[in-house]
Amino acid sequence: MRAIEFEILLSLADGDRHGYAIIQDIEARGAEAAPIETGTLYRALQRLVEEGLVRPVDGPNEPGQGPRRRYYQLTNTGRAQASAEARRLAGLVEAARAARLLTRGT
Amino acid sequence: MTARWRRWYRLGLRAFPAEFRNRWGAEMEETFSDRMAGLDPGAARRLALRELATLVASGLRERGTIGGGAPLLQARDLKHALRLLGRSPGFSLLTVLVLAGGLGLSTFTFSFLHTAMIKALPLAEGERIVRIDPMASGRVEPIDAADAAAFVGSLRSLVEVGGYGNRDLVVGRDGNRQVVDGAVVDPVLFSVARMPPLLGRTLIPADAAPGAEPVIVLSYRTWVLVFGADRELIDRPVVINDRPTRVVGVMPERFGFPVATEAWMALPTETYLTNTPGVASIRLAGRLAPGVTHEQAAAEASAVLRRVVSARVPGRLDSLAVSVESFPAMQFGEERVLTFSVLNLLAALILVLALVNVTNLLLARLNERSRETAVRLALGASTARLVIQGMWETVLLCLVGGILGTAAAAWGLDAITRWTRANMEGNLAFWWVWQMDTVTVLVAGGFVTLATAALGSVVARQALSTNVREVLSDGGIRGGSRREGRLSRTLVAIQVATVTVLMFFGAMSGVIARRVMNLDLGYDLTNLLHGAIAPPEGRYPSAEARAALYRKAHAALVAQGEFDRILLRRTLAEQHSPSGRFVTRGSGPDPVAPTAHQLAVLGDLSTSGVTIVEGRGFEVTDDPSRAPVALVSRSLAARWWRGRSPVGDQIRLAGVGDTTAWRTIVGVASDVVYGNPLSRDRGPDAVYLPLLQDDGPVAVVMARFRSTESAGRAALIEAVGEADPLLVPEGIQPFAGVVRKAGFIALSVSKLFAACFAFALFLAVVGTYGLMSRSIGLRRGEIGIRRALGASEAGVRVLLLRQAAGQLGRGALVAAPVLGVVGVGFSSYFPIGAGLTVGLAVGVSVAIVAVVLATTWIPTRRAARVGLRESLTGG
Repeated sequence: MRAIEFEILLSLADGDRHGYAIIQDIEARGAEAAPIETGTLYRALQRLVEEGLVRPVDGPNEPGQGPRRRYYQLTNTGRAQASAEARRLAGLVEAARAARLLTRGT
Repeated sequence: MTARWRRWYRLGLRAFPAEFRNRWGAEMEETFSDRMAGLDPGAARRLALRELATLVASGLRERGTIGGGAPLLQARDLKHALRLLGRSPGFSLLTVLVLAGGLGLSTFTFSFLHTAMIKALPLAEGERIVRIDPMASGRVEPIDAADAAAFVGSLRSLVEVGGYGNRDLVVGRDGNRQVVDGAVVDPVLFSVARMPPLLGRTLIPADAAPGAEPVIVLSYRTWVLVFGADRELIDRPVVINDRPTRVVGVMPERFGFPVATEAWMALPTETYLTNTPGVASIRLAGRLAPGVTHEQAAAEASAVLRRVVSARVPGRLDSLAVSVESFPAMQFGEERVLTFSVLNLLAALILVLALVNVTNLLLARLNERSRETAVRLALGASTARLVIQGMWETVLLCLVGGILGTAAAAWGLDAITRWTRANMEGNLAFWWVWQMDTVTVLVAGGFVTLATAALGSVVARQALSTNVREVLSDGGIRGGSRREGRLSRTLVAIQVATVTVLMFFGAMSGVIARRVMNLDLGYDLTNLLHGAIAPPEGRYPSAEARAALYRKAHAALVAQGEFDRILLRRTLAEQHSPSGRFVTRGSGPDPVAPTAHQLAVLGDLSTSGVTIVEGRGFEVTDDPSRAPVALVSRSLAARWWRGRSPVGDQIRLAGVGDTTAWRTIVGVASDVVYGNPLSRDRGPDAVYLPLLQDDGPVAVVMARFRSTESAGRAALIEAVGEADPLLVPEGIQPFAGVVRKAGFIALSVSKLFAACFAFALFLAVVGTYGLMSRSIGLRRGEIGIRRALGASEAGVRVLLLRQAAGQLGRGALVAAPVLGVVGVGFSSYFPIGAGLTVGLAVGVSVAIVAVVLATTWIPTRRAARVGLRESLTGG
């Protein structure tokens, strides 16, 4: 799984979000990371939707916000894959610690 | 702001395949808009640019993966393109050379003209340094020193404003004197220039204070040529204008602010303190205050000057204004942007021509590779992959061509700088240093990008239009579709039109350049010095006072043993101008009013090549106390006194001087051509008046010296000084230098265009041959069938030549109106008659027809001889 795809799944793990909210969440999470652009986001979203990890849903009605926005929701498969990827990454972090590439607290 | 970026974003979305765009486009645009909302303009611009770059890259990547293919941008495509280019070294070399020529010439032309006309001065914040020139009735004039202090002191939109004036400085004594083009400047101008000295210091305000010790700052060139680059010179006294003067500094090489100054002395502060108008006049320079435009500064300065002058001279001053312009702008006048644009447009046509030729070469090559392309498509390669591979080839060709072209342009710029330094030093504005700079590199990059985009789109169109079934069933040889035939014919028409326009422009420029180079003023320029005596109005308030000064100065100049001949002269009117009219006594109302160049003269007319052929010349006694007299030129006499002598007749000038006085013609002078060499009004019809009988604010001195130029300059200054110790003749320089300097830019531009047109002609011959070969090649199948059906070789030849004639006709249709515009434009600016213009247009057209028919003949002959089998199988 590509890093951007994992980032999107992570953003959707605690609730449905629209595209701009996903970008905001990713940027808020990793201030030091390279900024994410809309082109990159939607290509990744297309892949996630096609693989059945994410599904588009209608968002809530927001008064004065124009037409209803499309939100994205994590599917069960998506949640399972995100968990699997998180475990894999955690395992890698443990391995890095064992190899003394990381110390506790970093 | 956001709406504009949003439009760009929508455009960028086109990089994505339609399927993706339809599904996600609207939402992406919304998200982009959300991100932009609330950002300040700078942050919004940065984000938008980043978004757009990523958007296009993502779109291209998305296109590459449609249908499950591999990523679009692959290193192996680059290698493949390199392999293909290496397989045809001849094609690659020719393409690169044509591109390098087109790109190099366009870049060089842009840079040359940009440096000469547009570029800011090569000084710190040079774009803010300006000349401040009062203008009366549209004519630029120096400011009267009596107004300068109040004017400068009231300005808010201009800072560090200081006065300057050109002054010839005589360095050394007696037998070892040299004259350098110096300037007296307000020390504040060194703050304007912000250029640290090479040695010592620059001028400081204390140097201009009353009673200050005279000091001088030398240019690098003066320091080297006059003082042998002596490092011990600083703080040592040298003799300047017969006064011991301390050298306090030497400026770095190629610094000549304000224009081409060779030494600087301080403009005394009392110059500003004078209350008497007419004692002195100065020019002003300074900096625009931060954030102020030229127009704002000019508006403020005009208002201030009107206020200052109206305090001294009551009355309407509406025609008084102030021009605030950069130094290069003032040199080239209001039409510099138009001139710059037109000349660059012509250079860009060379690039168009090169691109047409390269397009043809690429199309021919794609045609050859059409079978390979079709097979790859049939085996499942994506069209995007083929387009990208073709694009890599184009990018590589354009890059190499661009690098070679830019290197050639850099060499050319350096060469022209070296040439001007060797041949024109001392006469050139200091900012005329041609070299590669950031703007030129950016422009070269722009040209390369344009070339890549233009050629890339042709390659992409061709690859996208490949019809697998058609190509493969054609047995490997493509007869050429109607679309291709049309494209090929269009390219020939564009080529014909472009070359015709370029050649016509070149021919017209050549005629003008030839006139400039062979300019015959009608007299010998050897040992002839030019200078000007301008008596200040304050001390010479009346016509009698000015006449007395001119008489004294003339007598002092004649008394100088250094001069062989002396003439004081003032041009009063140009022929064909309203002020050039005159009336002959006794003639009734004439529908055609006689006109002539009108000059006031004092001294030996033979200095300017004129001799008296009948009657008498002027004498020093022909002054205001005597009856008004005049001389006419032989050509004027022949035109208006046909078959009889004009001597004894009377004329009255209608536009200048005393227009009521009848002047008796006392003699006839030989013909000399007057008028601007590049104007339509040049001719020998002239009326001469005695300088002492026609009042005027200035007299030009023409002095033929006996020994050296330096001695001549010094003697001129000395003689005028004898007439008025406070008066220094202005602008002393050899006449030959004046003429050479006037023609330098015209000559350089003409040479530049001669090179451009030679290259255009080369491209025309090579390109038309290639285009016609290809155009005829596309009809090979048809020719074979015609031959099989009994068409003769001659019949096929006629058919193909008719095709060429048709393409010529289409090209001519496009070119004709442009030729008309160029012809009318040239004729209205320069002395080129309608006959010559039409003749040149016809000549150029005939030459182009000959080139096209000649380059058509060879492929036509070859095609007509081809047999049916070969035609249909490509054997």
